[in-house]
Amino acid sequence: MKRDIESLAPETRALIRAQLTRRSLLVGAGAVVGAGTLAACGTGGSETEGAGIVDVSDTEKIVRWANWPLYLDFDEDAKVYPTLQQFESATGITVTYTEDIDDNNSFYGKVQGQLAIGSDIGYDIVTPTDWMAARFIEQGYAQELDAANIPNKGNIREVLANVGFDPGRNYSLTWQSGFAGFGWNVQKIPKGVRTMEDLFAPANKGRVVVLSELRDTIGVILQYQGVDPSGPFTEDQYMNAIDFLKGKIADGFIRKVRGNSYSEDLVNGDAVAVIGWSGDLFILKSENDGKFDFAIPESGGTLWSDNMLVPSTSTHKKNAELLMNHYYDPAVAAEVAAYVNYICPVEAAQPELEKIDPELAASPFIFPDAETLSKVKVFRALTADEQTNFQAAFDEAIGN
Amino acid sequence: MANQKVSQDTGDLVLNRISKFYGDFKAVDDLSLTVPDGSFFALLGPSGCGKTTTLRMIAGLEEPSQGTIHIGETDITTQKPYRRNVNTVFQNYALFPHLTIFENVAFGLRRRGIKDVKAEVDKALALVELGHLAERKPGQLSGGQQQRIAVARAIVNRPEVLLLDEPLGALDLKLRRQMQIELKRIQMEVGITFIHVTHDQEEAMTMADTIAVMNQGKIEQMGSATDLYEAPRTAFVANFLGQCNLIKAKVQSRAGGKAVVTAKGHTFEIPLSRVSTENDSILLGVRPEKLRLDDKGINSIKDCVVTDRSFVGTSTQYLVRTPWDLELVVFEQNDEGLHDLRVGDKVSLEWDPEHTFGLDGAQDVNAGADLDDDE
Amino acid sequence: MAFLHTATGTSSGPKSGIKSKSWTPYLLLAPGLIWLITFFIFPIISLASTSTMVRPEGAQIGTYVQELRFANYIDAFQANQEQYIRSFIYAALATILALAIAYPLAYMIAFKSGKYRNILLVLVVAPFFTSFLLRTVAWTQILGDEGPIVSTLKLLPFVDESMRLTSTPFAVVSGLTYNFLPFMTLPLYASLERIDPRTLEASGDLYANAFTTFRKVTVPLSLPGVVAGTLLTFIPAAGDYINAAILGNPNTRMIGNVIESRFFAVVDYPTAAALSFTLMATILILVTLYIRRTNTDELV
Repeated sequence: MKRDIESLAPETRALIRAQLTRRSLLVGAGAVVGAGTLAACGTGGSETEGAGIVDVSDTEKIVRWANWPLYLDFDEDAKVYPTLQQFESATGITVTYTEDIDDNNSFYGKVQGQLAIGSDIGYDIVTPTDWMAARFIEQGYAQELDAANIPNKGNIREVLANVGFDPGRNYSLTWQSGFAGFGWNVQKIPKGVRTMEDLFAPANKGRVVVLSELRDTIGVILQYQGVDPSGPFTEDQYMNAIDFLKGKIADGFIRKVRGNSYSEDLVNGDAVAVIGWSGDLFILKSENDGKFDFAIPESGGTLWSDNMLVPSTSTHKKNAELLMNHYYDPAVAAEVAAYVNYICPVEAAQPELEKIDPELAASPFIFPDAETLSKVKVFRALTADEQTNFQAAFDEAIGN
Repeated sequence: MANQKVSQDTGDLVLNRISKFYGDFKAVDDLSLTVPDGSFFALLGPSGCGKTTTLRMIAGLEEPSQGTIHIGETDITTQKPYRRNVNTVFQNYALFPHLTIFENVAFGLRRRGIKDVKAEVDKALALVELGHLAERKPGQLSGGQQQRIAVARAIVNRPEVLLLDEPLGALDLKLRRQMQIELKRIQMEVGITFIHVTHDQEEAMTMADTIAVMNQGKIEQMGSATDLYEAPRTAFVANFLGQCNLIKAKVQSRAGGKAVVTAKGHTFEIPLSRVSTENDSILLGVRPEKLRLDDKGINSIKDCVVTDRSFVGTSTQYLVRTPWDLELVVFEQNDEGLHDLRVGDKVSLEWDPEHTFGLDGAQDVNAGADLDDDE
Repeated sequence: MAFLHTATGTSSGPKSGIKSKSWTPYLLLAPGLIWLITFFIFPIISLASTSTMVRPEGAQIGTYVQELRFANYIDAFQANQEQYIRSFIYAALATILALAIAYPLAYMIAFKSGKYRNILLVLVVAPFFTSFLLRTVAWTQILGDEGPIVSTLKLLPFVDESMRLTSTPFAVVSGLTYNFLPFMTLPLYASLERIDPRTLEASGDLYANAFTTFRKVTVPLSLPGVVAGTLLTFIPAAGDYINAAILGNPNTRMIGNVIESRFFAVVDYPTAAALSFTLMATILILVTLYIRRTNTDELV
């Protein structure tokens, strides 16, 4: 994919990416579907685990995986996913791979109704981001994994092995991770953006874009205010961060609050500095001859991950576990990392990636060192009440 | 809108050498015409003859490529339609579907800034005998009623000239007859100049004082209905108005107030006053009802054969073949002198020289004959 | 509902003598009715029911119980009246702008385009060949700070360096106008095209100049198209959220953005449902008043 879109103008590429990549504004399309599903969701949330779900993996050699767009190595010429093919020929299991997740919220909106009544959602692996994975687990929409089927599970990077929402990784395994921090246009801001003061420097007024992901934008602001977003921060502390955001919007410093399409704003000049994601800026940088750069804020950035989990309605859990195991093989993980450029959850993949692309293998965006990791936090799990109130406060702050 | 200046001149309508070109096509070709003030004038011709274009130039909807148009002393050639004291009754009436009948009729008055329109509109509606429909919308009226509203809408403005563009074309035959009489009555009542465009020769002859027969952008002949019928000056007029027998002939002498002509060995006489050409090659014309099935007259053809016979109520229509195989049409009144001939009967034809006319022999015998009459 | 009248109307026609005739209208009606019941009536009932639910303290996300709390409506409206009012203002502005742009365009196509008429009509519809979303995103490129329009405008002496078009109310209203322009143009064209050109000539003949003819004949006769076009523009524009999301800023959000955010992000279904219902009811009332006011049924 990368090679393919490189031949296009930067604007066009940005446009395509804005359309295709994860977290994009395609929420829009989801809303239409959502209006219909409203009928189905109503008063969902009942426990369904064990309600007559039988694993038929041994007789039905299939596994169905919903992932974000452009998130798995793809051979443009042969039109196949090489690492998936390896898995299929090694196990005889047929994989149906779909890029059906555009947005955590809208994906949840789409499948929640069926999960609540225990009817098959059509996927055996889904790949939500941490907090949404937490919601799946908490609401009983994820099945417990059988470690015996995933011997490679031990390859998981240490910081990811024990997360708040899933201690010991009994329900989930990290797919890829990334940082949220500051991105900027090197031509416009040669000295870079490393602090909140840099971001909201007077010259940047009206040309700052921040993410519409609560955990990333507020996570960065909380740390700037000296609060650890992974710790037990209070509602008051959270609301202080919201007030800070509101103030910057009211002052006209923040021009837009956007999903993935902030990269498009950087390219067309609407934004000179952003709170954005490492992976995107990494790609933007390489596609625009170093015109953009990324840094983790001095006060601290966030680390987020997308997590593979088996939804409660899946009858192919074992096949799903075998697939997870496959992607935790260092050689396979390296192949994926070489393509997607996000943080690889398998540390042992680094020497393997070195064989493919030594430059990528050295990137702290793919294999972050301890020092880099010490500067980022994972936003803590929120209770249902907190999630509802915090999200409402955030959305209200950004104009919704 | 108030007090828009509309020319108020009265007098004859004069078209002086007007032409209208569409690219290479001459819709109207160097046409001159004078319509006397207060007359009922008809422009008659087949479709595509330029009559509607002429009308539209008078209305101001088209601008002449050449020539001038005057009403009285005023040159209106390039005047905008809304400044001319000329109104039109459009084909299919073109009433305003969103306005009531009253407002349709009041439209022109209001545009000229007249405040109190009620009396005028009521009068116009009374003239067309439709006062009771004032609050209806055009869509609720029959074709005949719409037609009369269209007339009222134009007449209420007391135009110097009223133009009627095939006004009866959309009506059925019976209603058309009725409206012909009605329009004539209205014209006499209001006394303004009517210019009536039609392709229906009967309609033109019934209504108009003067008829101009148009063909290919030119006027072929102008005159009263009787003139045109009894003394046509071209084969087109002879054929387009009613039916006509035309025989190719040669002038032998012009003397003593008469021309002596021969055709296939037969000799005929025509009063010189009725010969419209100096040419020796002529077309001898005589109307079917002027032919008699007899052999006594000066102008006669013997040894003819009846080839067809059809009874049409007031008359019987025969097709009679001359010895030189020319078919002539003969109408015979269904009265006591009826011959009651059968197909194949031998017969002679004769007619009075006074009923004969001579046309330029260079013309097509069939000009204007088989033009579709009801498009 | 109009088609319902028509369909049942045919059954009361002259006796056809065949017993089964009375079923035909219902059979013809069936697909539409089933569609309406499945995709309109049921969701509406569900929406109404959801709108009065309450989330019990501490319950899981997305869990709501029915408590018939009608105060949800008041709360939802009070919390979001700014976006609510803004939606109608933006939609009204976009409708007026679309009318101002589409009327001359439709007029030109209907009366002056000659042999180019079909090409122009295709061009009007052509934007539909690409996705609504993609076209709106393309606007961010066109209107962007380094895009062609802003760059050109900045060459003018009186235009400030800080000049911008995206993330402004201007961009949102322009986007709405642009996206719904075909919905305005086509009904206008259809009604203008139906006008008999002779009625316009008749108007000129009856002492009306070009402007008066336009005012007194063309405009009234095109009114059904104006009404249809404004409704087809205003209704979707009032509920739109794509334009505000892509071309706007936090201060230009419309009610559609709020509904979307309540539904997907906050998972506050009752508020989303209450807002949707309020929006629907308001549009219905406005449309009814509008149609009454314009008296379209009086027109031909």
